[in-house]
Amino acid sequence: MDPSSTGIQEPFDLIRLSLSERVFVKLRGDREITGVLHAYDGHMNLILSDVEETIMIVDVADGASEDQGTVKVAKRKMDMLFVRGDGVILVSPPSRA
Amino acid sequence: MSFFGFGQGSLEQEKKKFLEGGLQESEDLAVYTWGEDSYDGLGDALLEGGDELNDETFGATGPVGKDFDFANQPLPESVGIAKSKTQYRSEPQRAHTPQHESGEYAPRHGEPSFNAAHSSLESIWDDKSPFSLLPRVNGGTRAGDQHRPSSASRSPFLSQPIISHGVNQTGVRTLQEIEAEMHAITQQARRQQEHELLRQQQIQLQQQEQLRLNQEEQMHLEQRERLRLQQDLRLQQQQPQRTPPPRMAPHTQSPRFHQHQQQILLLQQEQERQQQERLKELQERLRMEEIERQLRAQQISQMQRPPSLQGRRQSSYADLQAPQRRTHSPAYNDPQYPLMSQQNAQYLPQSIQLQQRLLSEMAQVEFMRDMQGISQAEQEALRLEAMRKIMETERMEEKRRRKAAKIAHMSRYNDLMTQSDKDFITRIQVSQLVTQDPYAEDFYAQVYGAILRSRMGLQQQDERVLKFGASGGVGLGLAQKGGGRRQSAMQKMESQVERIVSNARLREKEKGMHSVHSLQGALGKTSGRSYKAAPRQLLQVDASGASPTLTPAHLHISKEDAVRDNGEGAAREAAKLGREALGNAAATDGVIRKDPLTQRQILVTLESLYDLVLNVEQLRRDQPPEEEANFFATWSRSYNELVEQVWNGLQVMVPLETSDPHPFVSLLTPVKGKKILPRLSRHITPARMLTLLTLLVACFSQLDVVKDARLLEVLDDHPERDEVERQTQAFLGSVLQSILPVVAKAELRLISGLLGLFLDRNDIVTVAQTRPGIAMLTLFLSRVEIIKQGMSGIPETSELPTAEEAQQWQLMFDHLFQLLTPHFPVLFPSSRLSSQTLIGTPLPATDIIDQPVWQFLAALALHASPDQQSTLVSGLRDKVLENVTSANKGWVADEDSRQTKLANVNLFLHALGLDSSQIAV
Repeated sequence: MDPSSTGIQEPFDLIRLSLSERVFVKLRGDREITGVLHAYDGHMNLILSDVEETIMIVDVADGASEDQGTVKVAKRKMDMLFVRGDGVILVSPPSRA
Repeated sequence: MSFFGFGQGSLEQEKKKFLEGGLQESEDLAVYTWGEDSYDGLGDALLEGGDELNDETFGATGPVGKDFDFANQPLPESVGIAKSKTQYRSEPQRAHTPQHESGEYAPRHGEPSFNAAHSSLESIWDDKSPFSLLPRVNGGTRAGDQHRPSSASRSPFLSQPIISHGVNQTGVRTLQEIEAEMHAITQQARRQQEHELLRQQQIQLQQQEQLRLNQEEQMHLEQRERLRLQQDLRLQQQQPQRTPPPRMAPHTQSPRFHQHQQQILLLQQEQERQQQERLKELQERLRMEEIERQLRAQQISQMQRPPSLQGRRQSSYADLQAPQRRTHSPAYNDPQYPLMSQQNAQYLPQSIQLQQRLLSEMAQVEFMRDMQGISQAEQEALRLEAMRKIMETERMEEKRRRKAAKIAHMSRYNDLMTQSDKDFITRIQVSQLVTQDPYAEDFYAQVYGAILRSRMGLQQQDERVLKFGASGGVGLGLAQKGGGRRQSAMQKMESQVERIVSNARLREKEKGMHSVHSLQGALGKTSGRSYKAAPRQLLQVDASGASPTLTPAHLHISKEDAVRDNGEGAAREAAKLGREALGNAAATDGVIRKDPLTQRQILVTLESLYDLVLNVEQLRRDQPPEEEANFFATWSRSYNELVEQVWNGLQVMVPLETSDPHPFVSLLTPVKGKKILPRLSRHITPARMLTLLTLLVACFSQLDVVKDARLLEVLDDHPERDEVERQTQAFLGSVLQSILPVVAKAELRLISGLLGLFLDRNDIVTVAQTRPGIAMLTLFLSRVEIIKQGMSGIPETSELPTAEEAQQWQLMFDHLFQLLTPHFPVLFPSSRLSSQTLIGTPLPATDIIDQPVWQFLAALALHASPDQQSTLVSGLRDKVLENVTSANKGWVADEDSRQTKLANVNLFLHALGLDSSQIAV
């Protein structure tokens, strides 16, 4: 039995592999999330537990040009989170360094 | 414009008029009304061939201009018109209605009635208000008729001016008449010579008033222009159309729209008025009360009075009440009230009555008190109370009104959908719910419901699903509590589903062989390609790559198992020597060495395993009764097949040396891999579980929880530490739990073998410093302890281990003890932690995490010989003393941790027959 050739028919099957695993989710609005994936659906709605959200906040000073803003990083943690699918850009297993 | 024959003069005129009078909307409008229904075809009659005389008619050509001077005349006159108009505008109430009402019937010539209404009619004629355009847009008298009753019904005060104006209508001529007259004039003009025409007109016009002439001329021009444009339009479009040109944009709105706007405006005005009225009312009331109060104050000042005064006072009170009531009356009889919504009309008088009653009651009470003589302060309080009550009533009234308005607002949409519409939508919704496997689709709700029910001690119900034969069903989720609306909704849904299913069945029968998707097409057909059609496969990749050959592996492991199960030390040594001789890299007899499973392979395998497990579990639920031999045979065949697949999926039978970590161990790496084991183990035979256990023991040091156990001994919170903690918990909770029953039934011989394998294959010192390792060892020791107790107790012939086996166990135990002896203190996480950290840094509560180690040592002590016991005690003396001392001297955070410390120590000491209280500090 060769596992790599079984069960993968569509992209969502790959997400299924990450069920109950820690995943990295990139969201719209400069947000990133890592958490344990518990459920997902066709809209990419996700249910994550043990979540840490990272929000990039770009402060552009008045008068300064757009690329001169300072980037602040805000973090917060949540036990359980429902992520609405329309904000999801990508879902990936966390990099295993 | 000159294209249509208009000279500069007329344009100039237009321009002047435009400049002084603003936008001549009426003109624009009038141009395009000729396409309307009411259009009498006059324009057609006027069209032919009259154009060449236009210049002359309107005085644009040079020679004619001398005596034809009324092109210049309008200027002063229209100023006058504008003035009169502003005068007219100053009467706000009559602003629009009369104007546009009578605008239709404006007289053209010197009629008797005309002079009387002169100024107003002029302004009507010149009116630029949007409402005046309305009837023309709609065309003819029809619009006027339509408009008048509606405005009259809307508000009574608006209808009044109409009546007063009605006198004019008798002397007024209709548009048709006017047009007919104009028609005649143009006919004349065409027929006669230009000079004659002009002269005649001049004479005629000079006889009339200047204004009349101007109006005539203006009308004339308009008419002309209309005709031209009409013709143009006709030429372009061949048939008369209603479609207005883009310039008409502001007027394209339907009269209903205007009506609506007007209505809104009126309503707003009414509301404002109502509010003001209410405010006034309130002020009035306050004033009256103030008067009343003053009066009463007077009364109080002269307390001693003749008894007859009472009557007088009452009458004065009545006097006071009377105007007060009168202040209510306007609101009561306000003509606007009937115009309000039905609901308002219903409750408003009631609430006012209520207010009145309240007020009079309050007054009554006050009055009675008065007689007995009360202080000013009390009065004041009473007054405040009264005010408060009034305000409250007002508020409540307001609230009711708002509610009523909301209901009225929402009720606009009542009955928009018919019952069949609703049914249709329900059907769509329900058909989304119907599935082939209702239980699995509703799995979580079903399981949760089952758990809830069992927790509440209720009777275990069947699956809460609606099934419809073989074709599908609907999961009903949790049991409904409370019933009521949801219950009926549920029933409704059930009946809907039944209908759908029966319909589908019927269709199925009709169509014959379309049994695959009974609900396909229930909502209508999709045309063309099926929406379910998968994309065509373009690549044909051969999937048969490297699939491990299981047969030799099977042979291999069974051979090894046999060896292991014997537990012969010599055999073990031999095997060990052999492996060392061969080297780890070398393949042992026929085993194909492979790379360990990649993360992705692990996950894929686990997912397929979960699929299998779900299938197996579903199959277990569908187990037919054993009496139905036929069904049962089929069922057990498929069940066994699935279990076999699960077993193969676990890859337990893959040779030990295939990879490091072993595929099975790899599968246990993710949390979900650990968690699947208890679910699987229910279906796997005990013999196979034993094999699984053996494999686990053999590969124990390969486990991630053992390898990463060091990470747990980091003080600070770290994501990786958390992860390992999670994994460890999962391992202890799931994996060990699933092998526990196997160990609990194992014989001494087997335990000896397992312990031997454990010691042989793993670095026991390292493994013993991990929680899983300690747990595993404790498991073995306690099982043996139980066996020993069984031996000393009632001898069970079958299970009684032989002396040889007991000796073998002793050998293993001695070996274990010997290996661990130098490392006893290090077994404690707390010791390892304190050696890492600087002295003085406070340690976290380590007693809890030390507990399993104390347990293990206690188990060890139970098995130990006296010699070993003393070794144990000497090795652990420091640790024991430390704990007892800190507990007794109160170097602990609280009572709880003191208790834990003592309990830990006692756990161990009791096994030796000692107690912490015996230890003198």
